[in-house]
Amino acid sequence: MTANELLPLAVLASSLLPGFVIFALPESWITARTTLNLFGAITKLGLVFLLLAGVRGGEKYAVRYEVLPSLDLALKADALGLLFVTLSAILWLFTTLYAIGYLEKSPYRSRFFGFFSLCVTATMGIAMASNLFTFFIFYELLTLSTYPLVVHRGNDKAMRGGTIYLAYTLTGGTVLLSGIVWLHHLLGHTEFAHGGIAATLGAEYPLQLKIIFLLLIAGVGVKAALVPLHGWLPQAMVAPAPVSALLHAVAVVKAGAFGIVRIVYEVYGVEFAQSLNLLLPLAILASATIVWGSVRALFQDDLKKRLAYSTVSQVSYIALGVALFGPIGTIGGLVHLVPQGIMKITLFFCAGNYAETLGVHKVSEMDGAGRRMPLTTLAFSIGAFGMVGVPTLAGFISKWYLGLGALEAGMPWVLAVLAASSVLNAAYFLPVLYRAWFRPGPASWPEEHIAARGWRETSALLLLPPLATAMVVVLSGMFAASASSPLAWAHLITDREYLQWKP
Amino acid sequence: METLMILVFLLPLVLATVLILPPSGSRLGLAIAPLAPLPALLLALGAPAGLTLDVPWLLLGSRYALDETGRVFLGFTGVVWLISGFYAHFYLAADERYRSFWAFFLVTQAGNLGLCLAADAASFYLLFALMTFAAYGLVIHTRSDEARRAGRIYLIMAVMGETALVMGLLMLVHGAGSHYVAGLAAAPVPAPAIWLTTVGFGVKVGLPLLHMWLPLAHPVAPVPASAVLSGVMLKAGLLGWLRFLPLGQAAPEVGANLMVAGLAAAFLAAAAGIMQRDAKVLLAYSSVSQMGYMTLAVGAGLVAPQHWPLLLPAVTLYAVHHALAKSALFLGVGVAKAYGGRSWVLAGQCLPALALAGAPFTSGMAAKLELKAALAGIAAPWGEILPWLLPLGALGTALLMARLLFLLSVESAHGGRRGLVLPWSVLVLLGLLPAWWALGERMLLASTGVVIAASWPLLVASVLAVAVIRLRLRSPILPAGDLVNLMERLFTFRRSTATLNAGEAPR
Repeated sequence: MTANELLPLAVLASSLLPGFVIFALPESWITARTTLNLFGAITKLGLVFLLLAGVRGGEKYAVRYEVLPSLDLALKADALGLLFVTLSAILWLFTTLYAIGYLEKSPYRSRFFGFFSLCVTATMGIAMASNLFTFFIFYELLTLSTYPLVVHRGNDKAMRGGTIYLAYTLTGGTVLLSGIVWLHHLLGHTEFAHGGIAATLGAEYPLQLKIIFLLLIAGVGVKAALVPLHGWLPQAMVAPAPVSALLHAVAVVKAGAFGIVRIVYEVYGVEFAQSLNLLLPLAILASATIVWGSVRALFQDDLKKRLAYSTVSQVSYIALGVALFGPIGTIGGLVHLVPQGIMKITLFFCAGNYAETLGVHKVSEMDGAGRRMPLTTLAFSIGAFGMVGVPTLAGFISKWYLGLGALEAGMPWVLAVLAASSVLNAAYFLPVLYRAWFRPGPASWPEEHIAARGWRETSALLLLPPLATAMVVVLSGMFAASASSPLAWAHLITDREYLQWKP
Repeated sequence: METLMILVFLLPLVLATVLILPPSGSRLGLAIAPLAPLPALLLALGAPAGLTLDVPWLLLGSRYALDETGRVFLGFTGVVWLISGFYAHFYLAADERYRSFWAFFLVTQAGNLGLCLAADAASFYLLFALMTFAAYGLVIHTRSDEARRAGRIYLIMAVMGETALVMGLLMLVHGAGSHYVAGLAAAPVPAPAIWLTTVGFGVKVGLPLLHMWLPLAHPVAPVPASAVLSGVMLKAGLLGWLRFLPLGQAAPEVGANLMVAGLAAAFLAAAAGIMQRDAKVLLAYSSVSQMGYMTLAVGAGLVAPQHWPLLLPAVTLYAVHHALAKSALFLGVGVAKAYGGRSWVLAGQCLPALALAGAPFTSGMAAKLELKAALAGIAAPWGEILPWLLPLGALGTALLMARLLFLLSVESAHGGRRGLVLPWSVLVLLGLLPAWWALGERMLLASTGVVIAASWPLLVASVLAVAVIRLRLRSPILPAGDLVNLMERLFTFRRSTATLNAGEAPR
């Protein structure tokens, strides 16, 4: 086995093996567990940087194992997959740190961190899957490994939320599987390739291909929380804050969105999908989701629920970008994988901090939170302004490219969707910031768990991750045009994707 | 020199950051905070023409450049910020929230000064948004109920404006295939892009119907903040138009609408201003009215592109004139509130007031002469209407200024604030300069006809004012913010009938 085959496997193993060991560790072995967690996260990050350097230089990393004839488990680390892998690896490190601080002294930590590691392994597998079959295996593994995290608290509300989550995602998985099997039947394989594979069927089965597209998109659309398949997401908010952060920024929702990207670009091919008239309906669906999610977010008093609906809205930016035919729209959609993740993880970390430190769960309880927790609120503000799309923050870059992409694709109505979304984002985020910064605080907080000591408004492990991710939000927007930004990487992917395409 | 361009906005930002750090580190920052506009002034005075700085890794590839229009805007913006800064140093000395004030003041300043240099759409938008959002902190500084209400309306309109703006800019950039201002100028522009850009910046300029935040925000902000808001931040919207509207190409439809909007603002806002009891609200309406003349000129440039080469210097001079006069008047209101309506306060306020009314040998007359000259010979129907309307407008302004002086004369002394008189007097005296800088000897050679034309609105206004005072007539009072009150009432009505969310900020 060569090094180029080994590396993708090593990326998986760096979280899978620690995960298994952590399951076996007794609850009280805190140091060992923490060390393993961090060792895994940092090793993974190192491996990912090796991959990044290689792929930029044109190196190919792939590994394949034949399960049945013409049915392979196959992984590859290509540019597109690496965008997602890198994002996940970085945010996993932050979330691990945060979770260690967040779950301090709470029970069942071994179980939690074990599934946490499995969940990240599944995400990596989704990112590096090189055919639909492999994608599906890891996609279902993700469902199963996140369920215990969602219901971690074990109370009635958590169990109900978990049941709804399972019902939605397993149904989605079944629909996805039926689409994959159908496509496999037509094609004989489901390997991802630049420019798509469905095009080889040509104009033979347009109707079948349209139905398969619908099945595949509906299947991944559940996790991507496309309206009307988004019902599970606000219910899953019962999970602890680090899980919500991971679910919304990296693992589940993003896996769905990433699935849409793979299906459109590497199964159907963006040009073939366009010729089947599949992109416009997808754009309309994504637009509806963007607006609907934002409208629902306006009416949530529960902070995490407001953020959840905001995710529904923001993740569809990715689907929208994919559905805009042309390289600039593609860049907008791809690059939004990253800002959406880091902005949303920042916001969830902060929401967790308010809850853990002050017992504040509702927007209406946030008066004066900025005075009590200025650093957390600063990070929250950066995330929120990024969501609105204010420059120099990361969200501005994707909005800019999506807007230009829409004009390029001849769909100026998308601009109205983006405008509405910006206004709505402002309408549900700015009142939160207003309360936190400009209203006097209450005489006492609902449940103050952690007292402020000097500049440390809460425990260090809770404070540092959101500050770090908020800084990434600023930097990735500010240095968007530099060679090592997510934007530059999205350009790289797009250049490779649209190799044949000439306007 | 290139580094200086970065310092223009970096220095205020760094100072703002230092200020919000724990007290020990911030004392030095506070001491030098009023000096933050110095790099801008140095550049405006000493930089060679055509200074350009490309920062390819920043944002989407940023470019900062200093052209002649930018130099003038940078100059007067820097002057007003500098003097208002010194004024603020004394005005807020005893304020419990002076550090928060200074932080917002400096960030707003960074945006406002920086955008004078921005030469690409993304950077301009960035600095414009920075200015807009940071100014919110200035508006709600006192945290009173009125301030919170003004802040909310300011923010709602700002978000609408920013959104329209970014959509407009996207269309412009898509049409031109480049996001550099220089590249935009050459390209044909789609009509929706012109509309969106006009409206987006129009919120800042205070176009009629988009002006409603102005009379609410100005009176509640501390005096030095009102001075920069009214004096220079409104001009940032104007500069946005100058940078991004296809001036020099014909866009008659938008242009005609802008001209109508400008005239409407000039007259209606003057009328609304006369019906005010609060000097700062009156001045806010006066700003809407004066921005109307600049709007008129920009509109005329779109209607008659061949006039634009003459209109541009006229608009620029008007902007300088209004910036200096209006900020001096605002600072003077603070002086009047401290010392009462004494004769030396009124005498000082008279200078910028006369300038606004276009009295002979003031910057106002110079600006109006230039504007009239540039508009002369413009196509029907404007060519016939404007010579009649403009003097009437001057009469309106003169009446407005008479009302202002009256309001200030009955102001009682609240005392307490030292150090306000010097910055105010400096700004008042500086206001005398632009007339000579622009016209030089032509001012002295002004014909009797010109002097009479500039004088009669003042005479009529004085006679009317004396008559009103003698007869003890009282003007009707219009609530500040005019239409917004109506809209709020409709909104509250709907709110009370349909139970809405609890998450919204309470009124």
